[in-house]
Amino acid sequence: MAYLGVDIGGTFTDIVHLADDGSVVSTKVSSTPPRFEEGFIAGVEKVAGLRDVSAEELLRGCELVLHGTTVATNALVQLRGAKVGMITTRGHADTLPVMRAAGRAKGVPLDRMLHASRHDRPTAIVDRARIVEVDERMDASGGVVVALDEAGVEQAVRDLVAEGVDAIAVCYLWSVVNDDHERRTEAIIRRVAPDVFVTTSADASARTGEYERFAAAAINAFLGPETHGYLDRLRRGLADRGLQGELLVMQAAGGVAEIERAAGQPVLTIGSGPAAGVSASAVLGAQRGEADVLATDMGGTSFDVALLADGRPVRTQTTIEHQYEFHQARTDIRSIGSGGGSVIWRDPDSGALRVGPESAGAHPGPICYRRGGTKPTLTDANLVLGYLDPNAFLGGELVLDREGAEAGLAAVGEELGMSAVEVAIAAREIVSSQMADLIRQMTVERGMDPEDFVIYAYGGAGGLHVDGYVRELGAGSAVVPHGTLSTTWSAYGCATSDVMHVHERSLQLSSPFDAATVQAAFDDLERVATEQLGQGGIGAEQQSLERILEMKYPLQIHRVEVPVPSGPVTAEVALELEKRFAASYEALYGKGSAFEGAGSEIVACRVTGRGRLPQPQARGEEIGGTLEVTERDAIWPGEDGPRTLSTRVVPIDAIGAVDGGTVEGPAIITGPTTTVVVPDGSRVRLDDQGNLELRVDPTPVGAGATTATAASA
Amino acid sequence: MSEIRFDGRVGPYVPPVEPPPAVAELLHTDAAPTDPARFDILRHALWNLNIEHGNTIIRTSGSPVVVYAHDFNPVVLDEWGNYVYFGPWLQYLVAASSPAVKWILENRHDSPGIEPGSMFMTNDPWIGATHQSDLTVLAPVFWEGKIFSWVGSSLHHQDLGGTAPGGFNPVAEDVYWESGVIPPVRIVENGVIRKDLEEEYTRRSRMPDLVAVDLRAQIAGCRVAVARMTELLERYGGATLKGAMRKVQDDSEQAFAKRIETVPDGEWRSEAYLEMAAPGDRKLHRNTIVLRKKDGKLTFSNEGTDPQLGALSCTLAGWTGGLAAMINSQLMFDQLFAVGGALRRIEFKAEPGTLSSALHPSALSLAVLTIDQCIALAASAISKMLSCSSDPELREEIQSSMGSATFPIAAIAGADASGNPFATLLMEPVATGMAAWSWRDGLDMSGWPWDPQVTMPNVEETEAFYPLLQLWRRIVPDTGGAGRWRGGNSGEAAVIPYGVDGVQHHTASAAHHAVPMTPLFGGLPGSINRFLLERGTDVRKQLEAGHMPGPGEVRDGEQEELDPKAFGVPQGADDVFLLQWAGAGGLGDALDREPERVLADVRTGMVTAEAAERLYAVVLAGDDVDAEATERLRTERRAARGDWQRPDKAGGKGEVRDGALTFGPGLVHGRVDGKRVTCCSECHTELAPADENWKAGACRHEIPIPEANAHVADPARFLDDEVVVRQFACPGCLRLMDSEIVRKADPVQWDMRILEEI
Repeated sequence: MAYLGVDIGGTFTDIVHLADDGSVVSTKVSSTPPRFEEGFIAGVEKVAGLRDVSAEELLRGCELVLHGTTVATNALVQLRGAKVGMITTRGHADTLPVMRAAGRAKGVPLDRMLHASRHDRPTAIVDRARIVEVDERMDASGGVVVALDEAGVEQAVRDLVAEGVDAIAVCYLWSVVNDDHERRTEAIIRRVAPDVFVTTSADASARTGEYERFAAAAINAFLGPETHGYLDRLRRGLADRGLQGELLVMQAAGGVAEIERAAGQPVLTIGSGPAAGVSASAVLGAQRGEADVLATDMGGTSFDVALLADGRPVRTQTTIEHQYEFHQARTDIRSIGSGGGSVIWRDPDSGALRVGPESAGAHPGPICYRRGGTKPTLTDANLVLGYLDPNAFLGGELVLDREGAEAGLAAVGEELGMSAVEVAIAAREIVSSQMADLIRQMTVERGMDPEDFVIYAYGGAGGLHVDGYVRELGAGSAVVPHGTLSTTWSAYGCATSDVMHVHERSLQLSSPFDAATVQAAFDDLERVATEQLGQGGIGAEQQSLERILEMKYPLQIHRVEVPVPSGPVTAEVALELEKRFAASYEALYGKGSAFEGAGSEIVACRVTGRGRLPQPQARGEEIGGTLEVTERDAIWPGEDGPRTLSTRVVPIDAIGAVDGGTVEGPAIITGPTTTVVVPDGSRVRLDDQGNLELRVDPTPVGAGATTATAASA
Repeated sequence: MSEIRFDGRVGPYVPPVEPPPAVAELLHTDAAPTDPARFDILRHALWNLNIEHGNTIIRTSGSPVVVYAHDFNPVVLDEWGNYVYFGPWLQYLVAASSPAVKWILENRHDSPGIEPGSMFMTNDPWIGATHQSDLTVLAPVFWEGKIFSWVGSSLHHQDLGGTAPGGFNPVAEDVYWESGVIPPVRIVENGVIRKDLEEEYTRRSRMPDLVAVDLRAQIAGCRVAVARMTELLERYGGATLKGAMRKVQDDSEQAFAKRIETVPDGEWRSEAYLEMAAPGDRKLHRNTIVLRKKDGKLTFSNEGTDPQLGALSCTLAGWTGGLAAMINSQLMFDQLFAVGGALRRIEFKAEPGTLSSALHPSALSLAVLTIDQCIALAASAISKMLSCSSDPELREEIQSSMGSATFPIAAIAGADASGNPFATLLMEPVATGMAAWSWRDGLDMSGWPWDPQVTMPNVEETEAFYPLLQLWRRIVPDTGGAGRWRGGNSGEAAVIPYGVDGVQHHTASAAHHAVPMTPLFGGLPGSINRFLLERGTDVRKQLEAGHMPGPGEVRDGEQEELDPKAFGVPQGADDVFLLQWAGAGGLGDALDREPERVLADVRTGMVTAEAAERLYAVVLAGDDVDAEATERLRTERRAARGDWQRPDKAGGKGEVRDGALTFGPGLVHGRVDGKRVTCCSECHTELAPADENWKAGACRHEIPIPEANAHVADPARFLDDEVVVRQFACPGCLRLMDSEIVRKADPVQWDMRILEEI
């Protein structure tokens, strides 16, 4: 049986077909918003063509279709969501609209954070007039202060339905401790208005803190009908074309979920595409025996970073979308606006050379695309330096304009006293530094050393710049995965994902911990997790459960995740937890940072249920095409300024035939969709699964070039 | 006052412009010209080390006020203590670190000495702290044996001893009643914390463990920043990195110079009152900021500010810091928190012995509340100045009076259900209305403009820790002032004891319980701060009967308003505590606001239908505007202004043709038939000769404050003086141009003067 991974992004839909012999084919088609399922089907047809079968045959042979989708993300960005009503605790209707007073600057970049006159709240996803208060109230321990007014709820539902809402979020204070009122309200809505999409705040997020929970529920309600409709159309479309296997949906936390779960909690799918890329990196890490990985993705507009620690994607509990903040476990992916399309410019205020955050995007795009772009970009820089072949871009579909790119860079350099080539080299150095800064922030603030990680670089521009940030970080080496798969990496991540669900609840326990209470909390969550996996058809032997406690010191705010072994939580285990917590705390925050005088606290417990899917291990994709090694002039940074060197251009599949599988720099490795830059002193090797291993010369090369510029400036 | 020495003992420390020779020889000053291709990398590296410094503090601090309310900020300074970067958290906190560094260099270089691995701490408001609760920790970074730069942070510590828990003592007679003052001491030597000094510090606190955690967080932050700076030095060398620092400062100065170049020389003045300096005080105390621009430089002075009077007073360091925070947000918003260069072109002149530059041993513990008001005054004076700018984009930074212009402290204490003592502040007033701008409405409940990350706690966070139940928390319509652009609404929180029989309230507030801030250019004022107790209500009965009472539904109670400085007022099980905080001012004539905008506000519940008609003269018919009736009413209201007190001399009409300068509330300054005059820019009526107060030529009228905002209760509750809203309208077109909220007996204010020859 075969597996199909499909990742729909805003611009492209990527498809990977993984056959049971481990062979892989991949391709890209244009996305088709807002009817994304059409692009999906077109992609299936294209990949079927590559396998020389019809789409129907291909789908009939698929056991699973694993799907990452940007449908929810897009609907939120474009505000094409449902008309949402909210039912909430009397006295607290302003919770969502007020956004804890912080909404105006949430997610605003630091360089605009002080500019209050330009701040605004986001467009409301729930109109204040459709937030209805009802009588009910719980206290902090889940005790009922005011009983639920069921008649009032029913009236509220009828009023909202009369207003034409198609989704309702049920948001009560303290539902995180006792969700009885939310459940009963949900039941009333299902009875009175069965066609309306319903979501509760306790289902959307398991954390104390009503604003963030209500925000998650509101986003769920806003995206629910759209996501539900899309997945339903897609499922029927695939079934009509012969799919008998199941359709599973990628989540931002990593792992796929059943279609019902994704349709009910669309907030789980926001940002799932990049998360799938991190999953793919985890699969590759497992194959290569690398557990600690920095997964970096550089495309046209941004550079994204995530961490794999001990083989698992590192997660965050806090997300900001559309300026709304909410708590939910998801892969921690951070992003800066450094991509191939990043604009190179001179800041008139400081007179300094800058790169980004403005991006030329795909339209008008870099100058060299000849689509009307007038601002030079990193892609233009890479062309001028000879790293891109003007006649071989996108398989020769687009002939690049080298003269135009050079003129654009020269114009930026004019007032700086720099040539086009010097600007190009300096711009590459600036982005390398930005990218290294982002990586350093993510690792150092977790008490990790970036030098302990292997860097994986994927995405269209990853190979062009990876040497730069690897050198900046002093990391020494990097892997550009699977040749062509590196540009359909998220789709590959979908195709190779496991089923995963995260279950969480808040706790309030102080040390010494009562082992039985901890055990009971895990028992509850594990029962729910096992049930859910079972309902998804995952047999017991395929299931695995992972336990985490979130702990803190009573006098400190920050939480630390402490893994808990499976099996009974005995008194010894409980004691051991305290020790582990103290060790993790110091590892994260530095020696002496812990304040141990007053014991420790458990504030939340979490169970991640995984269902292993039976995908085969993938083999490197055969690329075909030319094996001919050529030479051309390329410009490299050097001690005394830019140097033009005759540089070998080696197609990926030819590496094996040259120098026993290792290519010494300077060289440029080319594939149909990627280019890897190998500077002087570095070298690249092809491993037996088709991945490129880059070894970077640790001495920083750029220094000489810019010192020379300073002297002439 | 000539005998005052500005050395940080009795008078405030005022550092010399240049380091004295004994200090200069310790400093690394070698700076290489900056390579434009590398500057961006170095700039980011310096910025990032400051962010990492701040994040380290957030991760290791124990205080909710630090982690959630961000009551701290890190800073990078050059070798002589001039600012390079502030962090993006509470802006005014580190704005006193520059004098602290300079004082340390001058007074500690010989003993105990400044060495690699040293760190100093101080909370001395006469040297470099806002008030004693804000501890500043500073660390030098060395390169090749010399002091290359400094890094540091200021952070609010929860309790540092003194007569009042938490440090806010409104009745303190002098500083000896308060938390002790610590001049800079060397808390870390050779990288190791001095245990004796640490205990000397923590021993004074009611919460020694928490204070120890927070001190260590500050030290950990400095450690990280010093290490990162040292890595940069090793990689790029001292001269290159210093060159980048200088360039950050130079660019900031350039950006600032370019902005103020668009403003003519002139003088702008703003005034407000502090109230009830101590229980029983029924007077108002004037707080003034005068801003002058001349020769490409700005001067802020406090001329006209009343003498110091105990705990409400602040010191020069706090005052300067507050003003720097506002300058950063209103004039330097695009400079990534690099205010240092701008400060080269700004002079701060505060008369010693006044409310905003108190002499030792004045009490100071409420200084931050006064600093809040000074910031609001600075915003008002800067806005008046910007109204004279020739740059239309810069004029978009003009804003009216901000909400919660002093933070009303409502502290609740008692014992929880298990008998453990607790104390907390209600942080809700951070969610204040934002002032109307010159081109848009103020945001409702969105915080101070100068503090971009402040966050109101969740109800669930409060209830998890304290025996309280929050009945409601809401935006209150009409609390924002009316105007052509509406001021942002503020809110209200209602709290009852829960699981206990009662709690006690302590209040500490500096102003705006009686008199709101004066709004800008004819806008109406926002609401005021209030602490209310509804005594003996039926709230418990309603809860038992299955109803959560909302605003206006709590019955049978008797209202008691707490003083802004009340101590230990009990709240029983049937009493409801209501905290209301001040809304922001509107801007421009409310009669000029498009009826559709008023209607939209009524529909979203931000303005009541009653206020729509009373303040905006918009007549609603059902769900819509009655356009005809609205037009009729507006004409009537405008015409009524013709009956106000007319100017002594009727001005002629004449269109200004030469050298016109538009400023303020639609005024134009220039020549008519050779005379230099100020006219109305709409109808060209001449108001006054250019070198006289234009208000002399306006129609004038006084109304009680509650008429301008129904949420302002009669000031006579707390004051002997009669206070009014004095309004000024153009005698030609009868447009409402400006207002001032003043004692009835006070003369008309001359608050905008252009001193440049037009």
